[in-house]
Amino acid sequence: MPNTILSCIWQRRLRPLFIALAVFSASPMPAQAALQIRVDEGVTQPIPIAIPDFLASPQGRDIAGVVRADLERSGLFRSLNQQSFIEKIADINVPPRFGDWRTIQAQGLVTGQAAMQPDGRLRVDFRLWDIFGELQMVGLQYTTTPENWRRIAHLVSDAIYERITGEKGYFDTRIVFIAETGPKLQRRKRLAVMDQDGANPVFLTQGDYLVLTPRFNPTAQMIAYMSYIQDKPRVYLFDLETGRQEVLGNFPNMTFSPRFSPDGKSVVMALENNGNSDIYVMDLATRTSRRLTNDPGIDTAPSFSPDGKQITFESNRGGSQQVYVMNADGSNVHRISFGAGKNGTPVWSPRGDLIAFTKISDTFHVGVMRPDGSGERMLTSGWQDEGPTWAPNGRVIMFTRTLEARGNSQGGSQVWSIDITGKNERRVLSPGDASDPAWSPLIQ
Amino acid sequence: MLTTRSFIGSGTLHVSIIVAASIAWPHTFEFPDDPTPVVPVELVTNVADETNIAPTIEKPPEPETPPPPPVQAQAPEPPPPPAEVAPTEPEKKPPPPPKEETKVATAPPPPPMPRRKPKPEPQQQFSVDSVLALLDKRTPPKPPAPKEQAPIAERTVQGIGDRNALTVDVKDALLAQMRECWNVPVGAPNPEQLIVQVRVFLAQDGSLAQPPQLEPQTRTAAAANPYMRTAAEAALRAVNVCEPYRQLPVAKYDAWREIVMTFDPSKMVR
Repeated sequence: MPNTILSCIWQRRLRPLFIALAVFSASPMPAQAALQIRVDEGVTQPIPIAIPDFLASPQGRDIAGVVRADLERSGLFRSLNQQSFIEKIADINVPPRFGDWRTIQAQGLVTGQAAMQPDGRLRVDFRLWDIFGELQMVGLQYTTTPENWRRIAHLVSDAIYERITGEKGYFDTRIVFIAETGPKLQRRKRLAVMDQDGANPVFLTQGDYLVLTPRFNPTAQMIAYMSYIQDKPRVYLFDLETGRQEVLGNFPNMTFSPRFSPDGKSVVMALENNGNSDIYVMDLATRTSRRLTNDPGIDTAPSFSPDGKQITFESNRGGSQQVYVMNADGSNVHRISFGAGKNGTPVWSPRGDLIAFTKISDTFHVGVMRPDGSGERMLTSGWQDEGPTWAPNGRVIMFTRTLEARGNSQGGSQVWSIDITGKNERRVLSPGDASDPAWSPLIQ
Repeated sequence: MLTTRSFIGSGTLHVSIIVAASIAWPHTFEFPDDPTPVVPVELVTNVADETNIAPTIEKPPEPETPPPPPVQAQAPEPPPPPAEVAPTEPEKKPPPPPKEETKVATAPPPPPMPRRKPKPEPQQQFSVDSVLALLDKRTPPKPPAPKEQAPIAERTVQGIGDRNALTVDVKDALLAQMRECWNVPVGAPNPEQLIVQVRVFLAQDGSLAQPPQLEPQTRTAAAANPYMRTAAEAALRAVNVCEPYRQLPVAKYDAWREIVMTFDPSKMVR
């Protein structure tokens, strides 16, 4: 009987265990597993990139210069000094000697050439090389009239920026702004437009009438702005292609703070009536308008979300100037800014992830927050920083910085830009004082 | 009578003993507060045969000959002209020219790419600076000493699992180096979600044994999302920029010959 029990235990319990142990000990040891490490800290610094002068024509040097300036101004790239280059590019159709470029710490290389064609047009080719991967990342060719060489340079910059950062560039864009000239008590304000790098400034109005709050149509080269023509404050449209202007709607009272919808087919704006202002939307095709808010408080500065389903605006309906969000039909109004001070001039990012706004507390700030009001961050601080406008890729913000007149400093208004990371704050060059910038979409 | 005297004597003695005891007893158990200090004793063996030897200072010997007079600066002889060398680069066929398009937008075909060659041994590069240095008669400045990589101490750390004694030093060294090389893509939307995994193969001298590879899930995500592709390329650049990985202990090569690095930007974008 005991033998039977022992046999049973051996059969059922111990033998499988011994067999398993024997098999395990006889099997080869697994190979050494890969070491796992988690890198959760790093640096944020510009990528070193080499951009030799483009070959073959005097424009080649100028084009490379504009590309270098564009990429450096973004704060994401550092253009390496040409004196440090070991290899002199002689033919852009031959792969570069990658080792030579690694030696000078380049992580990207742009080679290009610009040549006049028999038909009098300018042809520009360029290639972007990954120095470590030793492969071409992008290669494009452009043909245009020679006087358009700056646009070609901006297009090259956009292509490089997009390939390396993963988002669309913003270099082939323009800025519309209010150019301010003349003595302080007799200020002349003119509507002006220039390239995003400050080149090619053009005045659109003569300064006979006050102009304010220009805004770009996101789908066309068209501007909406407010002007006091014949002492009537109205919203006007300005077609940059044709130079044609027209008043938007025939409202009996003041209309102001216009902004286009994402599809460019309608304009949302504020309409004043007996000291109260509310938000209206107007269809540009039918010129019919619809009221969106109806509140005794002052509602103004509306801005669409990029999907066109929501509108952010500022209102003092709660007792102080704050940022609100509502559906595009005017329903579901709710406040999203609760920080200290007043908050206004909200502008929805074209990327949709953030709303830029002006904060007025002990000083002025341009900040960003998520559309639900969370994640508020102040990007700038100044005596009077206000009026943010987004680059079409939602990565950079321009704003007006007014300087205090103090001592020998006469003060004045300037346009500045800042990255949404809060880095790379730079002044945007403009002819004279400038304020109220609005960023265009990418030029089609 | 005798009994009475005996009692008186005995009582007197008892009383005196009790009085003496009552005075002396409380002090009997008083111990000093300070315990006896432990005196360290160093056991010295192999004592030298001679001790307390007066120190002697040897003066450096006087130079027997005065230093040579300064030599007048002379222009160096020009270097011989470079010999003609046959080109070593193989002939490369240029690719067909890109097709012309109005306004833009074609990608010219990439030129034929040579396969990545093994990295050549570091050679002395010709530089204008070195030639100028020959002409310069001032005392040449010393070249900056190469950065000393702090050797990792052999420790007797015991542990289990991921943080065991074999890998803890290696991980610390790798992380310290990668922090300086990884350019975090903080401007993308939802950057905290752009987590990238790269598999790295190292040679024993700390160089990359082969190009770093994206892990399959990262490769898939990068193909679908341009922001993810940017994050993946930033991670690959970091691995390349950090090469060589010289702080790693050769004795533990088996522990770091293959590494999976996870790049997690969430901490950087809070």
